[in-house]
Amino acid sequence: MSNDGVNKGRRKFLIGSTAAVGTVCAGFAAVPFVGSWNPSAKAKAAGAPARININKLAKGEMMVGEWRGKPIYVVRRTQETLDNLSKMDDQVRDPNSAEPQQPVYAQNHSRARNEEYLVLIGICTHLGCAPQFRPEVGAADLGGENWFGGFYCPCHGSKFDLAGRVLKGVPAPTNLEVPPYSFESDHVLVIGIDEETA
Amino acid sequence: MSKMKSFMEWLDYRLPVTEAFNKHAGEYYAPKNFNFWYYFGVLASIVLVNQLLTGIWLTMSYEPSADGAFASVEYIMRDVDYGWIIRYMHSTGASAFFVVVYLHMFRGLLYGSYRKPRELVWIFGMLIYLALMAEAFMGYVLPWGQMSYWGAQVIVNLFGAIPGIGDALVEWIRGDYLISGITLNRFFALHVVALPIVLLALVVLHILALHQVGSNNPDGVEIKATKDENGNPVDGITFHPYYTVHDLQAIAVFLFIFCAVLFFMPEMGGFFLEYANFEEANNLKTPDHIAPVWYFTPFYAMLRAVTIDLGPFDSKFLGFVVMGAAIAVLFVLPWLDRAKSRSFRYKGRVTVLMLGLFVSSFIILGVLGVKAATPSRTVLSQLTTTIYFAFLLAMPWWSQAGIRNIWTNLNCWFWALLLVSISVSPHLGTNEVDGYVTATSVYGLIVAAFFFVLPWLVAGDSEKEEPKRVTMDGGMGIGKVILALIAVALLTILPLKASAAGSNYPLDQANVDVSDTASLQRGAAVFTNYCMGCHAMKFQRYERTATDLGIPHDIMQENLNFSGSAIGSLMEIPMTTDLGKQWFGVAPPDLTLVARARGEDWLYTYLRTFYKDPSRPMGVNNKVFPNVGMPHAMLELQGLAECAPGPVIAANGGERRDPLTGEPLLLDPCGRLEVTEPGKLTPEEYDQTVYDLVNFLSYTAEPMQLKRERIGLFALLFIAIFFVFAFLLNREYWKDVH
Repeated sequence: MSNDGVNKGRRKFLIGSTAAVGTVCAGFAAVPFVGSWNPSAKAKAAGAPARININKLAKGEMMVGEWRGKPIYVVRRTQETLDNLSKMDDQVRDPNSAEPQQPVYAQNHSRARNEEYLVLIGICTHLGCAPQFRPEVGAADLGGENWFGGFYCPCHGSKFDLAGRVLKGVPAPTNLEVPPYSFESDHVLVIGIDEETA
Repeated sequence: MSKMKSFMEWLDYRLPVTEAFNKHAGEYYAPKNFNFWYYFGVLASIVLVNQLLTGIWLTMSYEPSADGAFASVEYIMRDVDYGWIIRYMHSTGASAFFVVVYLHMFRGLLYGSYRKPRELVWIFGMLIYLALMAEAFMGYVLPWGQMSYWGAQVIVNLFGAIPGIGDALVEWIRGDYLISGITLNRFFALHVVALPIVLLALVVLHILALHQVGSNNPDGVEIKATKDENGNPVDGITFHPYYTVHDLQAIAVFLFIFCAVLFFMPEMGGFFLEYANFEEANNLKTPDHIAPVWYFTPFYAMLRAVTIDLGPFDSKFLGFVVMGAAIAVLFVLPWLDRAKSRSFRYKGRVTVLMLGLFVSSFIILGVLGVKAATPSRTVLSQLTTTIYFAFLLAMPWWSQAGIRNIWTNLNCWFWALLLVSISVSPHLGTNEVDGYVTATSVYGLIVAAFFFVLPWLVAGDSEKEEPKRVTMDGGMGIGKVILALIAVALLTILPLKASAAGSNYPLDQANVDVSDTASLQRGAAVFTNYCMGCHAMKFQRYERTATDLGIPHDIMQENLNFSGSAIGSLMEIPMTTDLGKQWFGVAPPDLTLVARARGEDWLYTYLRTFYKDPSRPMGVNNKVFPNVGMPHAMLELQGLAECAPGPVIAANGGERRDPLTGEPLLLDPCGRLEVTEPGKLTPEEYDQTVYDLVNFLSYTAEPMQLKRERIGLFALLFIAIFFVFAFLLNREYWKDVH
């Protein structure tokens, strides 16, 4: 057995093409292994849109719902609260919600579909704690006369106003996230679906 | 290129990469006359990798608890993306592992690969086989189906046969007073952590031992005996690249067959996945017919074959001993074989005959192990168990061709006498024996006669001259291979035919078609209206059903989901198991998998053969499910049928007829059913309705079945393309090697 008569070109071609086809086959074989890490039907069913009844929510109060295991804050804002928002504009980091922390229909001054109802994912954008609801205007521990109500994160002191906008000079980098949501009726809020028809 | 080279230098200085590669592949000289039988080692390692990978992925979604195990397997099959492929890869891989391992071992037997100096290779291989059996057994318990449970029950109870400590040992293995979640948990730990580590270590030892002494070959000739001027074996060829490209095409063929099974018959007719295992474990009810998975059946048949007590030992203990010994004896095979040559090619005629007898006996035992015991089958399993042991234990004498001595006579005659007594004993008692037993006895006496004359055959036999160098003519040639296959097939099939018996209730063919969406939709409606009052479908989701059947979600929710639960939820019912038990005596079973557990034909016949029987609590009885606890749920549709005189159906499915007129004799008082109080539907409409329902149940039992076959075609096509390239590559490398 000698290597004299070896057709090196053909060998190279065959090695290359066999390896290529083999790689494609291996790629297809990898699909089930990669794909099986997607959320399963069970996870999707558990993560399906959640309904929150806001019938009993009084003005100026907050209630907490749940969607995909996360706290959903719903605040019914008073006209005074809404008016105060513009007073916060120069204290917050992203007054016009330029960062994509909300669906397009909430990219407005009140960060809401219907400005009366503020809907937020209650997870601090710093390291994931649940901020506390602190609506009292002028709270001494939160900045006194500069505080017009909002959220305070007990973990690392991040502060947000009543539109979920993050204040300057706190560790949290972005505004609180607004989940996709819609109103099924006047009293039923659906979290997880954008369309009005849901 | 030079960068690569300097990197390799850097690496080799710190880790013997190149050295190890050369030792085990690049400069590992394997005989160049490897044939078909030499593929199975590499295929076994492919399957091992498959089992490890898919196994790891399965543990990500599997839940090892008595309450959650069965549901989590169905969760993997339905809810996890591609989970069914991974699960089928694992279940098919388990059987494939044993297929290749059995063929690999048979190769060793043919060519004497266990002989000096490869005793350790064989022993490590046997240890792998043993570990594999433990691994497979514990793995089979994990899905927590009926077969899992009762298989575990039987195997664990085997240890109870050990005198003295038996009962305590069984309790210790189970960790409970019955097979329970505690047992499941420890089996899970052993299956996914402990045994795989042991297996991998043994595989490394097996290969290291092999590469130390070098591979055997079909001629059994030592290639190291003839070396060229460089000190390399003349008849050897480097493993890489020659055998890597050689094995590549075999891998392609193997994967093709593997995928064909995986995608087109994952249950393999009940041999790879047993039907009864689609029913959740129930510690109060044993399935009608329990059999281990096919790879254990030869040993299971040996266990059952022992029916006599011997002195202080009862048959239970002796069966356990025989089964254990059947495996233990294989360990000492290297010292049993006393022929001069290694390969059966040169060992003489007796060896060929004995190999044929041994292989056919092993296959017969395997077939008997899946069947219910009958008197004739018991005799046959006793005979073949004896042949199995005779082959191994008399080998030191019959393997010495041309030698005549008194020990050969004594040994062979001992086995002959044993065979005679097994054949004759059923006829000595007062019990009547059927023709099948007699036929089996004739087989036993023929084999006994062979063992009687065996000493003379051995004395008259001679070994052929072993060649100095390996031969490249392909051994016995295609004609002789076919002859050998026919001989083994005859030796296997004739005895099995002789012992055949048994019958089943004749079932009507349902011929389901799960691509018929309209039928499935009607079936879903029938199911929710007539079955879901009592039966849940707790592994299937409304949303999946709606999507697969082309039903819009809002229509599904309004018309087919009476529970008011979300579309994504499982199709559960409010009736609890306890409540069901109270009402019907037996809780109505979940029906998600009923078509897989019982079969479509059974369901189709069952749902159409209710008849009036006032002696039953529900007023009805059933032809295929006698004394069923379920009422006739679709009574208003079918109406009530009553027994009418009908033909007598014989065991083989034929009707008893009048010998003169040829008319069927209507002697069975309930041989036929007649609808006496018609329901809302005509018989034809009712049959169609039942068909739709069975079709729907067939769908829910395996919702991905259409997708499975589509993906399967695609997979087979790609593997076929890969084979073409692998084939050409191999030809390119091997064309000058001869």
